Amino acid sequence: MTNPLSFTLWFPLLGAIAIALIPRRQVDLTKMAALVISLVTFGASLMILQSFRDGEPGFQLTTSVPWIPQWGITYTIGVDGISLWLVLLTTLLTPVVILSSWNSIHKHMKGYVVAMLVLEFAMIGAFVALDLLLFYIFFELMLIPMYLIIGVWGGTNRIYAAIKFFIFTIAGSLLMLLGIIYLVFLGYHSQPGSPSFAITDLYAMSVPMHAQVFLFFAFALAFAIKVPLFPLHTWLPDAHVEAPTGGSIILAGVMLKMGTYGFLRFVLPFFPQASARYAVLFGVLSVIGIIYGALVAWVQPDMKKLVAYSSVSHLGFCVLGIFAMNQTSIEGAILQMVNHGLSTGALFLLVGVIYERRHTRLLADFGGLARTMPLFTVFFIIAALSSIGLPGLNGFVGEFLILSGTFRSHPVLATLATTGVILSALYMLWMVQKVFFGPVTNPENEAIKDVAWNEVVAVVPLIVMMVWIGVHPSTFLKKMEPSVQQLLATVNSRRDEPRVLTTSNPASPAVVRSAGFQPAVSLASSRPRLLSPEAGRMPAVRPAGSRRSETAGASR
Amino acid sequence: MMLNPILEPGWLNAILPEILLALFGMLLMLLEAFAPRLRGIFAPITVIAIVITAWAEFMVQGGTFFGGTYQLSPLTRMFDFTFLLATLLAAMFAREYLARERIEGGEFYALLLWGTIGMMMMAKGLDLLIVILGLELLSICIFVLVGYHRRLAISNEASLKYFLMGAFATGFILYGTALFYGAAGSTNVTDLARFMSTASPSDPMLTIAFILLIAGLGFKLALAPFHAWAPDVYQGAPTPIAGWLSVAPKAATLITLIRLLTAMMPVAEQARWTSILAVLAVASMVVGNFVAIAQRDLKRMLAYSGIAHVGYMTIAVLTVRADAVAAVAIYAITYALMNIGAFGVVSLLQKNQNDAQTLSDIAGLGFRKPFYGFALAIFMFSLSGLPPTAGFISKFYVFKVAVDSGHLTLALIGILTSIVSVYYYLRVVYYLYMKEAEDLTPVASGGIFSTGALLISIVGILLIGLYPTPLFEAGAQAAQTLFMNR
Repeated sequence: MTNPLSFTLWFPLLGAIAIALIPRRQVDLTKMAALVISLVTFGASLMILQSFRDGEPGFQLTTSVPWIPQWGITYTIGVDGISLWLVLLTTLLTPVVILSSWNSIHKHMKGYVVAMLVLEFAMIGAFVALDLLLFYIFFELMLIPMYLIIGVWGGTNRIYAAIKFFIFTIAGSLLMLLGIIYLVFLGYHSQPGSPSFAITDLYAMSVPMHAQVFLFFAFALAFAIKVPLFPLHTWLPDAHVEAPTGGSIILAGVMLKMGTYGFLRFVLPFFPQASARYAVLFGVLSVIGIIYGALVAWVQPDMKKLVAYSSVSHLGFCVLGIFAMNQTSIEGAILQMVNHGLSTGALFLLVGVIYERRHTRLLADFGGLARTMPLFTVFFIIAALSSIGLPGLNGFVGEFLILSGTFRSHPVLATLATTGVILSALYMLWMVQKVFFGPVTNPENEAIKDVAWNEVVAVVPLIVMMVWIGVHPSTFLKKMEPSVQQLLATVNSRRDEPRVLTTSNPASPAVVRSAGFQPAVSLASSRPRLLSPEAGRMPAVRPAGSRRSETAGASR
Repeated sequence: MMLNPILEPGWLNAILPEILLALFGMLLMLLEAFAPRLRGIFAPITVIAIVITAWAEFMVQGGTFFGGTYQLSPLTRMFDFTFLLATLLAAMFAREYLARERIEGGEFYALLLWGTIGMMMMAKGLDLLIVILGLELLSICIFVLVGYHRRLAISNEASLKYFLMGAFATGFILYGTALFYGAAGSTNVTDLARFMSTASPSDPMLTIAFILLIAGLGFKLALAPFHAWAPDVYQGAPTPIAGWLSVAPKAATLITLIRLLTAMMPVAEQARWTSILAVLAVASMVVGNFVAIAQRDLKRMLAYSGIAHVGYMTIAVLTVRADAVAAVAIYAITYALMNIGAFGVVSLLQKNQNDAQTLSDIAGLGFRKPFYGFALAIFMFSLSGLPPTAGFISKFYVFKVAVDSGHLTLALIGILTSIVSVYYYLRVVYYLYMKEAEDLTPVASGGIFSTGALLISIVGILLIGLYPTPLFEAGAQAAQTLFMNR
């Protein structure tokens, strides 16, 4: 496998099979092997970064092998600027998870790490799959190890949480499966030839409007459950609270992003007209999620639940950015996916650390930890500030880009969403104050041990990344920019087609206006710009996209 | 009627598989009578018989024999392989079951082999009478096999139940055939097809005939509302037989149904016979999946899940398309692997036939007995249609056929009821891995035969799930031959 992408994808699975052969009693060997495998995978993913060519919008490092030729299904993988950082996030978080679980998993260690590595394989696969059915298979494959991780290694109410998680997710994804079949059937019907599940082929196809609405909801439901978008979020607090620390980190850090990624990769470009029509609906739902999640987080007595509800709030920002459908907001959304993975991953990790020592997560049981666990306090506060969106840390950049992008198309929604930023400061600082400051109220907290070596090693890379993204976001934005431009070009060029099955029609902005959607950037002026060569060299925004908003604003 | 020589050249090769199975069955009966001490090798003999028969399948490529009443094609061969696979797995699981229950005997294996002949006749028969002959041969073998545990009341009860219901079903099929004969003047499917191309769809006699036929075949398929016997019979039947019974006769009946429906096509569509089937399919999916939730006994749960699976397959059948035939064939193979495998695990866990395996009995099995737990988990994931198992591929195929032929609503109902089914399949996995064991008496390890059968099932499921292309090629090739002599 000369292609680093193939290696990154398959190595965790091979590693999982190898670990499955280790005798069950060799717990230390199992842990070491899992750590080494996940680190090698991370190394390989850095090679992807190295061979990734900036400025190219299309898919890179592709590999394609015919798989089920009768149905036009191929094994095709590749990355572009949208999936690149998500793949890296996955490979970064997996060793972190294995380190954090070093001493906190007390039974069936082998099963746990095997499940984690299979999960990593499935998650990377879902991000790099360029064939719709291949994506679906990886998307479903994620469920089985996650179900086992929650159900076997979880807390007291784990069974309820695991089954709820599974049923919610599969209900959405099975309807999406029907959508996939129908979409490919339409493609086959409109252009006789051989059917194709390739994403790039499906991008080129335009779907009649009545079918688009059905298909849009079939896909969007699956992804909205995964995100989770209000009001489909009820599985998330249960799953997070009951999952073991490692499971929560992966669930919040990567698996929720499958939903937002799905919107970007499939829903927007496949069904541009339906997406435009229902963009406001999804924007409103995200804003409700942002505010509702933040308010509910505020009143949680349990730290893990608080972080879980904060995820509902933060993911609301991502969906809002996606459905604002402009360059700034979508780049912000992608960055925010990574940010949320880092900061929430770190928060879950740290909450797990004190739970391991005290077997409680209730805010009321703590106080004054800053004196007894100084190093831990530093880490926790950095993670909390990153989650709040303090300038200089990653959360600020993502939220700012999303809000400034959204403001141009939906000023009301953007304004309302901004209250979410304030609320997040409120509940996070509330938690920090309760847990870390004040006198040590509970004598049991006097003798509590500070972070151990494995926990430090696990959390430091996350902190480094938070600062890096916060200080120099262009490293990250630069690579995603061309792909986002191409995505928007695809969406915009097809959004104004008449709603019949034809290809290549001249643009007619009137149609878009009649659909009741006020486009983010006026189409008539923006499309030539987006497709022009200068657009590719548009300077990346730093520190916070102010220049972009000026240029885009001028074009209106 | 012309008196042509009925035996076309090559006729002996054409029925060579059937002849071989019959001879091996007789051999087993003779060994039972004269050398009962050889009982230990009856199962190996059965396995050898099946392997040789599978080889004999290749002696004839295709053609019509016995005066147009017996057709061989890639399609019938594919179904023959499904029957042989089911019988192979059942025989391998049965060996240890029979040894444990101390009821080993040559007639058990002989009846399995002869029942397989009956199914092959159903698949190949181009004449309704041949089909009925095969169906009866199969039914008689099943009556005896279900009641094979003759000292157990539950087994006898199951046998009697199946016998009484089966007798009625055969009666319905015969009535239906008689009415078709009255209308078309022939029981031959080819003649029937010719008659149907000009028949009036509004003829009530034809519709009554079809309904009678469906009532009879629906019984064999355990299609709702003709399903009531299934849970009781599966519970009472020797467990490996229950697995076999839940798969092989259904596959044979489905190929018969496809053949008949294809022959009757213009009328079947216009007289809305396919709508009748659609109603039955929906009823099966709903009843099977919802009632299965309430079951605690694994065998009864699998019985209801089987009703639902027949519902899925019926969706494909009623589209009457070339790829529907392939979809059903592939579904049948997959279903044989996963369902007989699941019954096999239950059989291995039982201490005796009366020891019902409920959900709480398998608690913690995944860690107490990792191989059985893993196998059962794979079967459950495959039954619920999750990738990367064969169950996903075959379910995907069925729904794809439904969407492609415009039956979007049926596909939607199928998807929605599958979501329900995930709950009870997953519950098994939950008991396997997430529940502490209550009963800590060690589970005996199976011997080489049952381990082999489980391995065949697991490898088959994963192989089809990951690389279905060769099977699709075979299926597509087979499907074309059904429409060949329309």
